[in-house]
Amino acid sequence: MALKEKDPVSGTNLTGHEWDGITELDTPVPWAARWALWGSIAIAAGYWVFYPSFPTVTDYAKGILGYSSRLEVVSSLKEAEAERRQTFAPFQSGDIASLAKDPSLEARYGAAISKLYEDNCAACHTAELTGQEGFPNLTDNHWLWSGTPEEIEYTIRYGINATHDETRMAQMLAFGADEMLEKPQVTEVVEFVLALSGQDHDALAVEAGEVVFEENCAACHGDDGRGGYENGAPDLGDDQWIYGGTRNDIYHSVYYGRQGVMSAWEGRLDDPQIRMLTLYLLWSAEDAPS
Amino acid sequence: MSTHHQKLERHSLGFAMTILVVASIGGLVEIAPLFTIENTVEKVEGMRPYTPLELAGRDIYVREGCYACHSQMIRTLRSDVERYGHYSLAAESMYDHPFQWGSKRTGPDLARIGGKYSDAWHVAHLEAPRELVEGSIMPGYAFLSEARLATGHLPASLKALSRAGVPYTKAQIENAEKDAARQADFEQNYEGELQDSYGDNVQVRDFDGAPGRLTEMDALVAYLQMLGTLADLETLNPQESSR
Ligand code: HEC
Ligand code: HEC
Ligand code: HEC
Repeated sequence: MALKEKDPVSGTNLTGHEWDGITELDTPVPWAARWALWGSIAIAAGYWVFYPSFPTVTDYAKGILGYSSRLEVVSSLKEAEAERRQTFAPFQSGDIASLAKDPSLEARYGAAISKLYEDNCAACHTAELTGQEGFPNLTDNHWLWSGTPEEIEYTIRYGINATHDETRMAQMLAFGADEMLEKPQVTEVVEFVLALSGQDHDALAVEAGEVVFEENCAACHGDDGRGGYENGAPDLGDDQWIYGGTRNDIYHSVYYGRQGVMSAWEGRLDDPQIRMLTLYLLWSAEDAPS
Repeated sequence: MSTHHQKLERHSLGFAMTILVVASIGGLVEIAPLFTIENTVEKVEGMRPYTPLELAGRDIYVREGCYACHSQMIRTLRSDVERYGHYSLAAESMYDHPFQWGSKRTGPDLARIGGKYSDAWHVAHLEAPRELVEGSIMPGYAFLSEARLATGHLPASLKALSRAGVPYTKAQIENAEKDAARQADFEQNYEGELQDSYGDNVQVRDFDGAPGRLTEMDALVAYLQMLGTLADLETLNPQESSR
């Protein structure tokens, strides 16, 4: 059969194939699809020339624009930083104590900082800052490490029992497991702590418990059990507990010890952000009912 | 237009050769870069093969399908870097077989999760995510705290990886089982040995808070706490490693 023969009905070229008298139309691909194909090949070639593309023997083809996604993100981060410097100007420098005295900051920046708090801290301390088992309440009046702006800033920066060299160390010893106290002594001191915090207790054991407390616990928790500000030992006389205030919980704390870990935020957060969070905690602590 | 086609289609040998040429272009584009992979992976201090315990944790991560919801790839985008930290480097997955970049973020990226939370938080969160994070849709994995970690296969795992190019030493392969238990040792008696063998950035402690028991939770938390902490990003020269 001759080439370029046309189908008499549709006027389209035939392919020239024939099977038992049946022929085949040679319908071209629609022009739009053809354009899309050649167009995308041309764009790919353009990318090849302009952008980093293919590895070479010792390096890679860098493209004539010299584009680098890594350098680009570095410079866009610098821009972001500059924007933040403007937006959060008051926090860029200056000492935290004088910032804490400025009452206008909370109204202007409180909402923005609450997002920073939620992103980084809420997983442990909860969005309401009230804490949960194992993670202390940040709104109560009793601070483990004192509530001055400088000390709070230090805690956030270096963490507690964290891997940072400057971290704070809070070690509640394992009095039972490490055999510093006999089991009955642990039971007695637990009753004393229950009494201290105004809960139901076994009055007979309290007296012996008080002796155990004075000898073993007062050094950190204070003579009256109301906590010390230098060692992270909590107040045992209030109704705020990190690990729970039931007889079982307290027994577990005394027998096995507790070493709560709070990560060091230096490196993850920059200085202005740490300042903002410090102030945020101070504002919340004042607002909250004690 | 049909003349060329017809010629080609009617010469079986020529047609076969043409197929071969076209297909090998595809192959070349995919395979050739692998021969120059050294140029692609930037040099950065601190990268080391995973310890046996971390490797076991990684296997659990894969087994449980954590990658279906979590990526480990901080892209070079401002939003990614601001939220998750320094963008991921090729070097950071050079000992991953296969890599865990993932392709979907139902939960957050985990490439730099190491050190962000405490071990206790990870254990509590994996056991019951909704207890800690209101409204979380992550499934709970409480059984990991109960399941004893199987370590018998670890020497073979290390050996297989060393065949794929991960530089494990003979001693590391032989000691794999012991090293796994030692890294989660409550008393931290073997910290020095492990750091001599693998590097200073090995973290040694009882990860799951259950002293004396080596569980799958130990392994998974050890893996999570290592993620993103190995590469010393401060020694990285952004100009030299620009891509
Ligand atoms: C991994 C969980 C975790 C995260 C996330 C976390 N914390 Fe903590 N934080 C703790 C624990 C645990 C303690 C108590 C440590 C202890 O038991 O001694 C603590 C204690 C604190 C204290 C000391 C409280 C006091 O009474 O002195 C402050 C302040 C604090 N956190 C602020 C923050 C801020 C701000 C953030 C966010 C940047 C944050 N925390 C994120 C776990 C966490
Ligand atoms: C070396 C200092 C130190 C000594 C000694 C010490 N504690 Fe503690 N204790 C702490 C610290 C620090 C914490 C907080 C631990 C944490 O948050 O992880 C704590 C926490 C506790 C808690 C848990 C409080 C809560 O809010 O859940 C109890 C209960 C407790 N101690 C009782 C005792 C008793 C009883 C003794 C004596 C047998 C004692 N402590 C001796 C430092 C000490
Ligand atoms: C169904 C999807 C899903 C699966 C499967 C899943 N996760 Fe998650 N994960 C989430 C979501 C959603 C969040 C955010 C809410 C939260 O923190 O619980 C999250 C949060 C996390 C976080 C905290 C991240 C951060 O920066 O706050 C860690 C760590 C984590 N997941 C680890 C794991 C591990 C390990 C596994 C496998 C054992 C796993 N996830 C499986 C959905 C998932």
